[in-house]
Amino acid sequence: MSNPSTGTSRGAGSGRSGVRTAAAAVVAAGLALAGCSSSSAAKPAASSSVQGPLTIGISLSLTGDFSDSGKAAQRGYKLWAQTVNAAGGVLGRHVVLDIVDDTSSPTQVVTNYQNLITKNHVDLVFGPFSSLLTVPASQVAKRYGYAFLEPAGGGPAVFSQALHNLFFVQPAPVVQQGDVFADYILSLPAAERPTTAAYPALDDPFASPIAAEVRTRLEAAGIRTVYQQIYPAEATDLTSVVSAMAAKKPDLVVAGTQSADAYALVKAMVLLKWAPKMLYLSNGANDPLNFPTNVGAGHVNGIFSSGDWFPTATTSGNAAFVAAYTATYGGTGTSIDSTSAEAYSCGQLVQEVAAKTGKVDNATLISTLHSGSWPTLEGDLSWNSAGAANSSYVLVQWIGGKLLPVFPANRAQSTPVLGKLPWGG
Amino acid sequence: MHETIQAIILGLLTGGVYALMASGQTLIFGVLKVVNLAQGALVILAAYLSSSLFASFGIDPFLTVPIVAPAMFLLGVAVQWCLLRPLHRSDASQLSLLVTFAVALGIEGLLALVYKSDYRTMQPSYANDSWTVAGYQIGEVRLAACLLSLATLGALALLLNRTRFGRAVRATVQNPTAARLLGVESTRVAALGFGLGAATAAAAGAVYGMVYSFNPNSHYDLISRLLSIVILGGLGSLGGTVVAALAMGVLSALVGALVSPVWSDFSFFVVLLAVLLVRPRGLFGARLRGAL
Repeated sequence: MSNPSTGTSRGAGSGRSGVRTAAAAVVAAGLALAGCSSSSAAKPAASSSVQGPLTIGISLSLTGDFSDSGKAAQRGYKLWAQTVNAAGGVLGRHVVLDIVDDTSSPTQVVTNYQNLITKNHVDLVFGPFSSLLTVPASQVAKRYGYAFLEPAGGGPAVFSQALHNLFFVQPAPVVQQGDVFADYILSLPAAERPTTAAYPALDDPFASPIAAEVRTRLEAAGIRTVYQQIYPAEATDLTSVVSAMAAKKPDLVVAGTQSADAYALVKAMVLLKWAPKMLYLSNGANDPLNFPTNVGAGHVNGIFSSGDWFPTATTSGNAAFVAAYTATYGGTGTSIDSTSAEAYSCGQLVQEVAAKTGKVDNATLISTLHSGSWPTLEGDLSWNSAGAANSSYVLVQWIGGKLLPVFPANRAQSTPVLGKLPWGG
Repeated sequence: MHETIQAIILGLLTGGVYALMASGQTLIFGVLKVVNLAQGALVILAAYLSSSLFASFGIDPFLTVPIVAPAMFLLGVAVQWCLLRPLHRSDASQLSLLVTFAVALGIEGLLALVYKSDYRTMQPSYANDSWTVAGYQIGEVRLAACLLSLATLGALALLLNRTRFGRAVRATVQNPTAARLLGVESTRVAALGFGLGAATAAAAGAVYGMVYSFNPNSHYDLISRLLSIVILGGLGSLGGTVVAALAMGVLSALVGALVSPVWSDFSFFVVLLAVLLVRPRGLFGARLRGAL
């Protein structure tokens, strides 16, 4: 699964962090720019009485660092538009997507949404990829009273803005991704629970806080921490981390990871022939396509992870989505990037609000989505006042070479398997 | 104690991998006096080529080396002949930094276009296997990389010391003008030298692709380490490169295991700076450069 918040590449981590640091300045610049503009230039309204197509403006990273994920989001948005248009559109209006490239730049994304709203006069806007771009983009949307359904900005900076018009279309903020694993551990009978745990984590705002949240809860439940370590993004070789961790003999390892370091941790454990009784990796292991090819298909069984969407999910419209996606773009369910599902879900929400209210304007979207629960590919979503969804991620485990949802019970397709990991230990 | 010894073993093996990767960098500097900022990208390019051969045809990564090496050699010759040779002599050292960095960015862009940005690793059946010796784990691929590194460096030493081409290279290194007067075609030697340096990336890429996950951006981290190794060892010194790579590997592994991985790279740079303060040419720069 692609990281919904940061893009995917650790190799450019230092560069990205520099860009992230600049994000605050860009937000300020965006606000100043918006402040200088005339709010009357935009028309944040699109009701059922308006004739013509329903235009939706979207800025996506079609080039630059986030381009792979940006293109995945584009596929999701386009697939939804194609699907809804084939069914007659939204309230009879043909959906037209106005997609522009932001080159993964937090500066360009501000310009893009400014232009989409004030020059192109789009009826609605959907969000870009990554928290880095969502923060400044959402400020522009707020300025003009647009609802901001965004599929991939789940970092703390997004929700600290406390924007009433923002809706993160994933089950929960990214830092809560590991909570479902803590819930599972605490649901086990005392005799089956681990007694000691280790918490290695990548020095990344979308990795280490996940492990820290789980640690806080497990420590409160009496599970003793025997090792915790944050490793830098440049650390390509984690054998020394695993060697030190193994010396502490933890029952459980909860690792706050992205992709490459998740692979490196597993490879190091295999090389050192050491395995804990239970292993949870926040990211990397939740990618059904790339994880087995990077650590070896024989080394995946038993490993836990968590995520927001999976091809076999029984959520609203998922089977149809997977079928339409593979028919349109080829491949199989496992080759679908979760970002596509997240983007598609934004469209589902517009459809549902339109069906319920008979309207599809921004004010209606904002007020309506803040009440009740809304079924999407991501599960049933509702939001707090800052736009963070109130649901939880799904715990998954590699069982028999397949990545299966195992917890909570209402999303599970298999029972968790507790036993030795397939190497050493 | 077990943890310390295991860290030293892992460090030595990791150092062997880096020595293999840095040998081409050292050779190119020795021959051309060019700090090749594209060496990391060449290693990643070779890793991708090796990975493609492994994925598409099932060719063992080690067996891809003789296939990838000639391609990398030709690429290296082309880069030198087309991009570095035309540089004005008086500015060549400085401008070559920009040219090789541009080459690195070009390779990165091309790889991103062809392969996307997902991380990948080559996983032959033995990729993560290790031997247990007296309770310590010795990674098979890393040990093979050490041996490959020694073989590569040995072959380079033989080439430079026992062949007509090697004599021409050494003559060019010591005095380019005198070499030209004696009939050595220094531009041709330079192109072949750069090609050889690039060809070593084939072996390095195959090993790197099995040990680490990589994507088109991986060359940034890699080049900083390779430069550190060749500077510590002494620019242009093959022997110094090996010593520096092993030192880096052991120090990083020890600090990572016993202190914190946060400090493992930093500790190496502290040692690097300390050595350069005392010996600006690096550990073996003065003594061995002429012997390259």
